Amino acid sequence: MSLPPPPPSPPLAPPVADPEAWHRLDPRMLLVHPIKEVGKFLPVLLGLVVAGSASGVGPWALLGVGLPVGLGVVRYLTTTYRLAGGRVELRRGLLQRHTLSTPVDRVRTVDLTASPIHRVLGLATVVIGTGSVASDGGERLELDALPQPEATRLRAELLHTTTGTDATGTDATGTDATRTDATSPGAGTDPEHVVARFSPRWLWYAPFSGTVLVGLGAIVGVGFQLVESVEIRVTEDDLAAIGQSFVLTLVVAAVVLVTLLAVGGYLVTNGGFVLSRHGAAWHVRRGLLTRRETSIDVARLAGVSLGEPAALRLAHGRRVGAIVTGLSGSQASSAVLLPPAPRTTGYDVAAAVLGTAGPVTGDLRSHGRAAITRRYTRALLGALPLVAAVVAAVLAGAPGWLLATAAVPVGAALVLAWDRARALGHAFLDGHVAMRSGSALRSRDLLRASHVIGWNQRATWFQRRAGLVSLAATTAGGKGQIRVPDVPVEAAIALAEAATPALVGQFLEER
Amino acid sequence: MWHLETGIGALVVATGLGAAAVLAGPDSMRWWLLGLVLVGCAGAAVVVPQWRYRVHRWEVSANAVYTQRGWWAQERRIAPMSRVQTVDLAQGPLARLFGLATVTVTTASAAGPLQIEGLDRPVALALVDELTRKADLVEGDAT
Repeated sequence: MSLPPPPPSPPLAPPVADPEAWHRLDPRMLLVHPIKEVGKFLPVLLGLVVAGSASGVGPWALLGVGLPVGLGVVRYLTTTYRLAGGRVELRRGLLQRHTLSTPVDRVRTVDLTASPIHRVLGLATVVIGTGSVASDGGERLELDALPQPEATRLRAELLHTTTGTDATGTDATGTDATRTDATSPGAGTDPEHVVARFSPRWLWYAPFSGTVLVGLGAIVGVGFQLVESVEIRVTEDDLAAIGQSFVLTLVVAAVVLVTLLAVGGYLVTNGGFVLSRHGAAWHVRRGLLTRRETSIDVARLAGVSLGEPAALRLAHGRRVGAIVTGLSGSQASSAVLLPPAPRTTGYDVAAAVLGTAGPVTGDLRSHGRAAITRRYTRALLGALPLVAAVVAAVLAGAPGWLLATAAVPVGAALVLAWDRARALGHAFLDGHVAMRSGSALRSRDLLRASHVIGWNQRATWFQRRAGLVSLAATTAGGKGQIRVPDVPVEAAIALAEAATPALVGQFLEER
Repeated sequence: MWHLETGIGALVVATGLGAAAVLAGPDSMRWWLLGLVLVGCAGAAVVVPQWRYRVHRWEVSANAVYTQRGWWAQERRIAPMSRVQTVDLAQGPLARLFGLATVTVTTASAAGPLQIEGLDRPVALALVDELTRKADLVEGDAT
């Protein structure tokens, strides 16, 4: 099973020395692919085996095993890649050949993923993110898989860093690569600079990250489904027999179960988390079983989104995401800079990534009375239908004490409005546009001024009467924009003017 | 053109609501409801395009494009010339009837295409030329 990659021109040269040669993936994939394929074909295989033993035809089952193995071999033989002339090229497919090609300087992110099988064999899958919109399915630049050192070396070349003292260490092939296009400015022997490292204390924040609520919702939903489908005939006696303690136990059990699930999920996804800067790229390494390594080119890092949802804020936690040019929301998992973690760690990471702490912790300008009033009116209007429903029910003959329940939505609305009003803020700090809004999903978005593409201002008739606009700074990464509602008009113009001088001012006379 | 487009839209809505009113409304109020729906839609068909037309602005300066559109919710968008990626010119069947065209300026952001609707075709062509030329002068990949 040792198929040597046949580089045609120089017979004895190592593959690295000839940059024009097409490289094969690692031969060890011949082991991985069949295992995966067998997994995929398992139902069919089982069927075949059963059919084979029943009818006494042995060879059928053999054929069934042979097919996935053959597919793996074909895939191995037909997939080649090379890095030449400033372009990454990937050829694959037997019947329908694909040739993907992209300039190296358009590479935004490089992901190294290693499933448990890969890790046992010392392999890693390289996924190259180029910011193309059609980056799913067949159009993805995915090399599955390369030997770990080769993968790190490729990543270093793609991101114009050099392989100094990488965590993987075993870097034998990369050192003799004297390539012209891999010389990076000032990254010569840059050591890996670790900014944040996973600590077991972070597990405390796992239950507050919103997954718990989702999980609880799911359990309740499933419970109701079960009850409905079973259609239990509940009598008064049964109800009495169930008792309160049983229900209480059930609820507590559900909460504990979901919490455990959340913690477990957090551990599996984020175990061994390390955020480090290495030359001109940020590396995020995480995952307990499947190891994921994401690298983000510093020049493509447009900003940082500091997530502070309500539940996480209660636990004094924060999460940090990156706004990366060319990475849209659908590839959000590549943009995680820090999972839910202590607040101070969150601030430190954000400050380190931005290179300045000013935007992270600096004061934001609040939006004034009009905006706050608007928050309250909107929240109370949202509660109005519920209140109306209660009142209608009482009028229709329901007992009068039900009126008291109308206070619940009103109270919730008031709390929500208070929190939302408190959150609203914007500022221009240290060359970054900072915006904060929201309550349950509050986040503070920080965008480097040089990455602001343009401005969108949106105002409904009510907003215009109050002298407010919803301001959005558009950018090429993340969700395409960061926005904050209800900025006073003058403040919005001042912010835009500060961030992008001489852009907004020229149109001012019309406003 | 907007009159016609909104008119068609209003007609569809009016038919739908009217049918609903006639079918689902209580007997005594059926025709009242129908009349209300018709009047409302007709009013909207007249007022909304006017309003839209009065709001609608665009301007191109040496280094930026600016648009303002909408009626109830108005939106102003500004994009610097250096970030312009593509300039599109589109003509629907209705627009062709009136000799009008829509110019769409896209940037690298998913959130910010600038649309200028209802330009005279020669004006639109000139605008496309101008934008393309100016965007061409700027270096970089516009992200």
